[in-house]
Amino acid sequence: MADTFGDPKQLFGKPTPRIDGKAKVTGSARFASDEPVGNPAYAYLVTSRIAKGRVTAIKLDAAKAVPGVLDILTHGNVGGQAKPAKAADGGPNTPTLDSDQVMHDGQIVAVVIADTYEAAREAAGKVAVTYAAETPSATFGSKGVKVASHKSRSGKPFPKKGDAARAYRAAPVKVDARYSTPPQHHNAIELFTSTCEWDGDHLTVYEPTQAMWGSKAAIAAQLGLEPENVRVVGRYIGGAFGGKGANAYTAWVAIAAKRLNRPVKLVVTREQGFTVRSWRAETRQQVRISAGKDGRLTSFFHSGQEVTSRPSQYAVAGVEVTPRMYACPNIDTKVEVVHADRPTPGFMRAPAETPYFFGLESAMDELAWKLNMDPVELRRINDTRDDPVTGLPFSTRSLMQCYDAAAAKFGWSQRSAKPGSMTDADWLIGYGCATATYPANVAPAAARLTLTPDGKAVAAIAGHEMGTGAYTVVAITAAGALGIPVDKVKVLMGDSDLPPLTIGGGSNNAASKAHVVAKAAGEIRKRLAEAAVAANGPFKGLDPATLTLKDGKLLGPSGQTEDLKTAVSRVGSLVEVYAENNPEGLPPEAMANTYKGQTAMLRGGGRKDHSAFSFGAHFVEVRVHRLTREIRVPRVVSAFAGGTIINPLTAYSQYMGGVIWGLSAALFEATDLHQAQARYVNNDLAGYVIPVNADTPSIDVIMVDEPDNTTNPLGIKGIGEIGITGMNAAVANAVYHATGIRVRDLPIRPEKLLAHA
Amino acid sequence: MDDQTKPPLRDGPSRRGLFGAFGLAAGALAAPPVAAAPTGSEGHAPVTLSVNGREHRLTLDVRTTLLDALREHMDLTGAKKGCDHGQCGACTVHVDGSRVLSCLTLAISAEGRKVVTIEGLAKDGELHPMQQAFIDHDGFQCGYCTPGQIMSAVACVQEGHAATDDDIREYMSGNLCRCAAYPRIVAAIRQARGQMGAA
Ligand code: FES
Ligand code: FES
Repeated sequence: MADTFGDPKQLFGKPTPRIDGKAKVTGSARFASDEPVGNPAYAYLVTSRIAKGRVTAIKLDAAKAVPGVLDILTHGNVGGQAKPAKAADGGPNTPTLDSDQVMHDGQIVAVVIADTYEAAREAAGKVAVTYAAETPSATFGSKGVKVASHKSRSGKPFPKKGDAARAYRAAPVKVDARYSTPPQHHNAIELFTSTCEWDGDHLTVYEPTQAMWGSKAAIAAQLGLEPENVRVVGRYIGGAFGGKGANAYTAWVAIAAKRLNRPVKLVVTREQGFTVRSWRAETRQQVRISAGKDGRLTSFFHSGQEVTSRPSQYAVAGVEVTPRMYACPNIDTKVEVVHADRPTPGFMRAPAETPYFFGLESAMDELAWKLNMDPVELRRINDTRDDPVTGLPFSTRSLMQCYDAAAAKFGWSQRSAKPGSMTDADWLIGYGCATATYPANVAPAAARLTLTPDGKAVAAIAGHEMGTGAYTVVAITAAGALGIPVDKVKVLMGDSDLPPLTIGGGSNNAASKAHVVAKAAGEIRKRLAEAAVAANGPFKGLDPATLTLKDGKLLGPSGQTEDLKTAVSRVGSLVEVYAENNPEGLPPEAMANTYKGQTAMLRGGGRKDHSAFSFGAHFVEVRVHRLTREIRVPRVVSAFAGGTIINPLTAYSQYMGGVIWGLSAALFEATDLHQAQARYVNNDLAGYVIPVNADTPSIDVIMVDEPDNTTNPLGIKGIGEIGITGMNAAVANAVYHATGIRVRDLPIRPEKLLAHA
Repeated sequence: MDDQTKPPLRDGPSRRGLFGAFGLAAGALAAPPVAAAPTGSEGHAPVTLSVNGREHRLTLDVRTTLLDALREHMDLTGAKKGCDHGQCGACTVHVDGSRVLSCLTLAISAEGRKVVTIEGLAKDGELHPMQQAFIDHDGFQCGYCTPGQIMSAVACVQEGHAATDDDIREYMSGNLCRCAAYPRIVAAIRQARGQMGAA
C-alpha cells in the first residue's frame, strides 16, 4: 500500500479549519449564480397550473409587450431542440418543453427571457396558457394511480431467506405494524440556478451540481453536443442533499442563450423549486417482525410502497438495507411503486435508509416493549458479525460500541422503563434510541497533483464542495502524503474541465478523492525518490522505497534529509502527476464510464467477499407537554463509527447536520399535498417547516474509533448521510416512552398526540 | 433626510416575525414613487446607493430589490438569495446599522442610507471577530447562509440580544441554515460577543 497510496494519513484525524473558510465568511466564495458573466439576460420559468393534461395554446402577446422582454421559449418554438431529460436513476422523466403533455403540477411550460429579472418576472405572469385538463391522481389511494412491482437497481431480487411467513406464525412474540413517511423537499438554502454562456460551439454552464461530469454529460446528450464542448462550473454549492444533479431546465437556458447570443441566467424561485426538481417520495411500509422469548429474531418481513411519477420507475427500496441490521434466519421483502401525477422523485439524504429505518427501528422498539426488554439489549442480542442477507462478514461493525458509548454519555441507565413515568412539572419526559447505518461506497476518480520546488502543491479534481469540507479533505490528504503543511496546498475543484470524480452522492466522495489524491502523491514521492537515489547526494544507491516525504523534506531511512527545493528541482521545474484510481472490486470499464459522466460506485452492500457499512446509535430525550402536547427535544447524543475520520472538525458538522435533519424529519418536515389538484400547498420556507436555531437542541456527537483496512485501503467509510438515518425512529420511540402513544406516521406533530390526550 | 421621513426599516429579521417582515415590504412599497423622471427606459430610475462606504450610481428598474441591486448591478454577491420573500435571512445586510432583509427592501428606499454587506465587514483585510469565530467553530457547512448569519450575528450582539444562549437562539432564528450548523453558530457568537465588546 505504501507504494500505491503513499502515507497520506499523517494529517488525518487532526481538526483542521476549512481552507475555504475565509472565502465563505467574507462573501468572496463564488456560488454559481455569483459568477460574473458579461451582460446577462434573465430567465424566468412559467410552470403549469394543472397536474395532468395537455397544453392546448399559449398566448404570448401580453408577455411580449412587457418592455425588455427578449424571447419566450415554449414547446411550440423549441420543443424538438433538446432531448428529454432523464430522471435521477437514468430512466425516463416527466417532460418539460419537449412535449405539450403535462404530467404534474408546476411543470415547466415556458421560459421567458428579458433584459432584467424584473421584466422577466412580470412577463412570466402574463404568459397565458390554456390547458385540456384531466383529473389528476395525487398519491396512495387516489383514484387512477397505478401500482407496479419494483425491481432492484442491480436487477437482483429483493432480500429473501428461509420462510418468513411460517416463522412469523410460529413465533411467541411478534409485531405487525404499518408506518408512513411523507413527501419531503431538500430545500437547500441556495436556490436552483443555471447560467449558460456560449463561446462559438463551446457552452459553459455555471450551476450548482453535485455531479460535475454527470451534468456535463447530461447537457451534452440533451443538446447533441460533444461532451468536450460543455463545461460545468460550480465552485461552491449552497447545499445539495441529493437534490442537485442533472436537471431539465439547463438545456432550455442554454438554447435561450444561443438564440440571443448572450449569456442567460436563471434563478428558480423557491416555490418553483418544489416542482421543477426532484424530491423525496412518500412511503407506506409494513413491518412484520417476530422473536423468541429470549429476544432473538425469528422472522423479518418489510414491504414498502413509494410514489413516483407516471413515466419513472424510480424507487429507493430501503428493504435492501433493513434486513442487514440484525441476525435473522427468515427474511422476506418487497417494494412497489405507485405511479401518480407528480414530478419524478430522486435522491435525498440517505434516500433509502431515512424512510425505511423509520419502519425498521420503530418496529424494533415495539418488539422490545412486547418482550419487556431494554431496546439496547434487543439490539445487542441480535447483533451480528455477518451480513444476514449475503452471509458475508462485515468489514467492521461497531454498532454496539456506538450504543455503549452514546448510552453512557446520555445517561440511558437513568431511564425508568414505564411509559409516562418520567416527568418534570407539566412535561412528560421520554428517552428513545435507534440504530443508524449507511453503506461505505467508493468510486473511481482522477486527479492532477503538482509539487513545485518552493514546497507548494496544487491538487485538481472535479470535486463538489457542498458543505462537506471537500476542499479541505483534498488539502489534508495531499499535504499529509507530500509532507507539507495544509496551507501550502491549493485545491481546484467544482469544474468539469478538471479530472473526473463521480457524483457527490452515496457519501462516496471523501473516500474516492482521498484515494486518488494519495495515489498521485505516492507517485510524486516515487519519482523524487528514484531520481534522488540515482544522483549524487545523501540518498545515492539507496532503495527508493525507503525514502519518504516529511516536514517539507525528502527523508532517508537513517535520517538523511534533503529539502524539497533540491529534490524537486532534480526532476524539473515542477513534478506533476495525473493519477487515476479504480477501486479494487470494480470492473476496469468503471474508470472509462466515469469519464462519460456515469456513476460507477463500489457499493458497501454489493461486494464479493464482505459487506461494508458505517453504523451508529442515537439517543434522544423528548419532552411532551402534558396538556398542549408541544414536543421539545432538549438533547441528543449520537455515536458513529465511520472508519477513518479525515477531519474531525468538519466531520462533526456533517454528523450533527445529519442528526438535525433526522430530528426535522421526525417533528417538522412534510410537503403537504392538495389531494384534488395533486399540488403542493406549503411550497415555501414559511410553510415547509425546517428547524430554526431556537428549535435545535444540544447535539453531542461521539466519533467511535474504528480502524478498518478491509473497506478500502485508507479505511474511509463516508459520513454525510448516516447522521439522519434512524433518527426519526429514535424520536418516535422517545415520544412513545414519554406518552405511551405510538406515532407511526411522520411527522410527529402535537395534534397526533392530542387525539389521544 | 430627517429620520421621520424614512420608510420604516425593521431590525431583527425573524421567521416568527414574518408579518413584521411583510410589514416592511408593504412600507417600502408604500413609499412615494421616485420623483425623478425615469431616465432611459420606462419604469427605470437613477439611484445612488452607499454600500460599504462607496457610492454606486445606478439606473434601476424601480422594482429592483436591494438584494438584486447588490448582486446583479454592483457585483456584490456576498448577500445571498434563498427565498426572495423574507423567509430565510440569507440576504441580511446592515442598513444604517440595523439588520435588514435586502430581498424585502426596494433599492430606491435605501438611497441616502448606509448599507454594509458581508464584503464590507472585514477592515483592512482583517477579519471581523464574528467572521473569525465562524471559522474557529466551523459555524457553517456549505456557507450559503453564512453571510446572512454573520451580518445578523453582528447586529444581534450590537442589539444586546446575545446575552444568553437562549437569547442567541431566539434572535438568530430568522436565519435558516439547512446544513443545520445552529449549535456551532451559537458557539461562534458566544466567542465573538466578548471580543466585540472589548473592541
Ligand atoms: S432571500 Fe431574503 S429572506 Fe430569504
Ligand atoms: S451553511 Fe449551508 S445553509 Fe447554512
